[in-house]
Amino acid sequence: MNVLTTLLDRMDQRVVSGCRQLARDHGRRSFLAKLGTLVAGASVLPLLPVARAFGAEGLQEIGDPRSCDYWRYCALGGTLCSCCGGTMSSCPPGAEASPVTWVGTCKNPVDDQDYLISYNDCCGKAVCARCGCHNTERDKPVYFPSKSNDILWCFGTESHAYHCTVAVVMGKASTG
Amino acid sequence: MLLLLTPLVCLADPRADYLLHCGGCHLADGSGNPPEVPTLVDELGRIVDLGGGRDYLVRVPGAAQAPVSDARLAGIVNWVLTTFNAQTLPRDFKPLTTEEIGRSRRNILADPLRHRAELWRAAYGVDG
Repeated sequence: MNVLTTLLDRMDQRVVSGCRQLARDHGRRSFLAKLGTLVAGASVLPLLPVARAFGAEGLQEIGDPRSCDYWRYCALGGTLCSCCGGTMSSCPPGAEASPVTWVGTCKNPVDDQDYLISYNDCCGKAVCARCGCHNTERDKPVYFPSKSNDILWCFGTESHAYHCTVAVVMGKASTG
Repeated sequence: MLLLLTPLVCLADPRADYLLHCGGCHLADGSGNPPEVPTLVDELGRIVDLGGGRDYLVRVPGAAQAPVSDARLAGIVNWVLTTFNAQTLPRDFKPLTTEEIGRSRRNILADPLRHRAELWRAAYGVDG
């Protein structure tokens, strides 16, 4: 019986101290503060030129994805989906990503490494002309038509209407 | 020996070359977008053993005109064959050599689809 009481006492103590620790670390106020930061931060963060980590791509980046100067857009010809209700790597609602794309490389200023960037056109809606962008790294339209970023890449989609372009990181470029 | 090999290994990254020069249309997994963009999965393993099949792989304009050296094109084509065509590649497959690719790619095909159909017909007597 004594052993059982001791055991129960110990369990009680553990639970009590665990709850206290939990309450200290995650009080209502700290929860509200974190929620507030998340809500406010989520709306402001895309506009701030700060280093960000993108979970899915595991990449440190710097700059404003709504600006044509953003590093990923070094070879983008078109308009930025991040200004049109989408993000730099996803189409706005109602637009369909083209399966075929043209691929270039851009240097990430954070780690000074070259990355392969896939420029997918988002199609099926009237053009979104909010943020025009025309950068031409590796763009060789006359010599290599397949390396022209002015080509309409809305092939294999329901509609050939061009809406905007995203820039998806595919991985590191080769060093040679 | 390892030190001598290291720069070669660092320079030649066939997957990155593939993504940069081919993957835009043939897609990262080689599946393409048929019928406009043919698939590179499994079908090339069947073509490689046909008469003229090895040549065909680098005589298609996309391969022949890719802005890469013969050695790097060899890296890309062999990577595509062993990665996307492991199921269909002949057991005694020998990787394409740089010299072989240098010769073949100079003989670019003006009508690759027709040529491919002819290869298929010559081998199997049916349209591919």
